Amino acid sequence: MRDVYVIGTGITKFSRLEYPLVEIAAYPAIMAMKDCGLSKVDHVYVANMGGSRLNHQTSLASALIDHLSLYPSGADSIENGPASGASAIKEGYQAIASGMHDVVMVVGAERMREANNLEATDFVASLAHPLAEQIYGVTLPSLAGMFTRLYMKKYGVTSRHLAMVAIKNHTNALKNPFAHLHAPITMDGIMDGPDAMNNNPMIADPLRFFDMCPVSDGGACIILASAEVAKKIKRPKIRLAGIGQATDTHCVHEREDPTDLLAVKEAARRCFQMAKIKPKDVDVAELHDAFTILEIVESEEVGFFKKGEGHLALESGYTALNGKLPINTSGGLKAKGHPVGATGVGQAHEIVTQLRGEAGERQVKNAKTGFTCNFGGFGNNVVTLTFVKE
Amino acid sequence: MKKSILGYKCKKCATIHYPNRAICRKCRNEEFDVVSLPEDGKLLTFTHLHNPSGDFEVAILDLGIVELSNGCRLTGQMKIEKPVIGMKIKSQIEVVRQSGYKKFYGAVFYKA
Repeated sequence: MRDVYVIGTGITKFSRLEYPLVEIAAYPAIMAMKDCGLSKVDHVYVANMGGSRLNHQTSLASALIDHLSLYPSGADSIENGPASGASAIKEGYQAIASGMHDVVMVVGAERMREANNLEATDFVASLAHPLAEQIYGVTLPSLAGMFTRLYMKKYGVTSRHLAMVAIKNHTNALKNPFAHLHAPITMDGIMDGPDAMNNNPMIADPLRFFDMCPVSDGGACIILASAEVAKKIKRPKIRLAGIGQATDTHCVHEREDPTDLLAVKEAARRCFQMAKIKPKDVDVAELHDAFTILEIVESEEVGFFKKGEGHLALESGYTALNGKLPINTSGGLKAKGHPVGATGVGQAHEIVTQLRGEAGERQVKNAKTGFTCNFGGFGNNVVTLTFVKE
Repeated sequence: MKKSILGYKCKKCATIHYPNRAICRKCRNEEFDVVSLPEDGKLLTFTHLHNPSGDFEVAILDLGIVELSNGCRLTGQMKIEKPVIGMKIKSQIEVVRQSGYKKFYGAVFYKA
């Protein structure tokens, strides 16, 4: 297989965006084309989860090609739940590695805030099992709540540890101009102070408001190319070195140990094996913290920490921006935002920005190897990526 | 006839699945017997979901996962005042969701 490089990137602010879905996809695509200086690509993959339901827009890739006047390039829309973004990157990788194409654009775009929060939550819940979960009113926050309760009992994680994830990621987001939430939060404000329980009400206990990611609109783009094309582009050489994907049971209740996220573990193992690195080689990581508990558990399952010790690493500052392994420098889904179909591409954008040394105030010093974990369903389809600076 | 949740018992390895699937996840056999799942079990975990979607006319929806006495697990709604992990439960079939005129029946867990 041929080596694959990231030659261009672009992103919108993750927020409420008052323009159509196709423009949310087009804006980062134009940025990415300007970033690498190319005006044509061989193929476009567009990741999106909710266009048909929330925006009455299907075939988003065809619409984007038209909006960017990129015809007759090929175009495919990719839907793999909240892991759509990393799945689209995987498709782009395969197209170049196989020799089928030389330059591929991968875009993730979502416009969720056209619906209200309840409708948006209900839409995301459509990834749960229709008969065994959805009919009961199961939503992703409720699955996360049940998971967290078990995890706390088994491993001693407390609500304060969850709040530490939120505070860390909100603090990182303050340094990211593209992040949805620019709101500093404190332990006093969300846990200890007299107004804490008003500021931070229960959503799906033991998870509170600040344990949840916001509902965001947003788009991101990376342009992938073969080594031959990449060497002509005057940008830092960032290689997409590893991809891992794994699946698990549709219903959470069918997992032997419901506190395991086996798809995360296996996807990471495959990814590191392909990249020929170990988890300890990673300098910066973006993990899928749609709920604060997930950052802690994913940090264990991918192999950064032993099972049950992720919260201790967090507590010690190991995963802070100035720690040994900064996690979610962008603010993560928690504070950068979670436009579901775009999230995986957004994570890749952050890691490439870090490896290029262009992350400004949130730059991790000497970052050479970066990792992303894009978590679909409640862990039933996970895609992980490793990027290496050459 | 008393209503019950139906499980799918593999004809080869006897693993009981809920919900149904085309191929057994233990032995990959493709034939199943439909069996009634028992009502009794224990509570594995739970949550109180605030502001559920519009089909539920309650402010808080209680949800849980139980392990039934035959080892099969089930997600369902819960009507238990002070739930505790590991407590014994009984499940009943009730209307769990109403969407317009459409009613959905499913498992509701009570303290045994």
